[in-house]
Amino acid sequence: MYSVNREVLPFENGLDAWIYFESSGAPDIVVADVILAELSGTELSEKVKGLNRNTVVILYSHLSEREALARQAGADAFLAKPFGVSEIFNLVQRFVVDGQPSG
Amino acid sequence: MIRLGAESSKMREIELDDVFLSRLQLLIIMSKAYLNGYPLGRHRIKSILENAKHVKVEAEGLDEDLELFGDDDGCANTLGFDSAFYQRVKLLSVMAEAIAKGHDLESHKREALEKNLNAVCEIITFNKRVSDIQFLKVA
Repeated sequence: MYSVNREVLPFENGLDAWIYFESSGAPDIVVADVILAELSGTELSEKVKGLNRNTVVILYSHLSEREALARQAGADAFLAKPFGVSEIFNLVQRFVVDGQPSG
Repeated sequence: MIRLGAESSKMREIELDDVFLSRLQLLIIMSKAYLNGYPLGRHRIKSILENAKHVKVEAEGLDEDLELFGDDDGCANTLGFDSAFYQRVKLLSVMAEAIAKGHDLESHKREALEKNLNAVCEIITFNKRVSDIQFLKVA
């Protein structure tokens, strides 16, 4: 049986996340809104990819125009709100179980 | 970059109804996993308890709204379910909670759970508001 067994860390904003990653190292996966307080999801994506280009970045938003921003920031996936559990399963299968970032 | 979720023209903020439906879908999947003999790890137990609690409270609230404002009020019944559905959802959450607390269900209770799950899934499948029925493949 496959065991995922990953630690999930929530942060108040993008800057808090970045401060943690800078001292503790880049995580396997980052999930963030495109727009965040202090440091946006797109800025966080660029910084984390600079730290470790293999880190998977998943950005989400409720505004369609932000999809282009996510793409420019090098995100591996864009989640358009509202999304359901099937989309989450798809991402877990792709990035956690299979461990394959998109091309 | 892969793209998942709503079509561009249908994008909007996630509402309480969406959260209720997603938690209900997770509860269905985890209950079916139990019936199929998959083991309950601590993460799944925690998840069942949290989701069951949320779903139960929401189902009670939505059912009360129906009772107070009736079926015709668009605001009170945005999901389009009837009272019988919410009763089934409440029953599902109580049974799921029992599973997570380690109560092994006797065969007649397992049958009742399976019947209830199938009924809930059928109602969800034909509800216009529930666009995400792919989860049933997982379940």
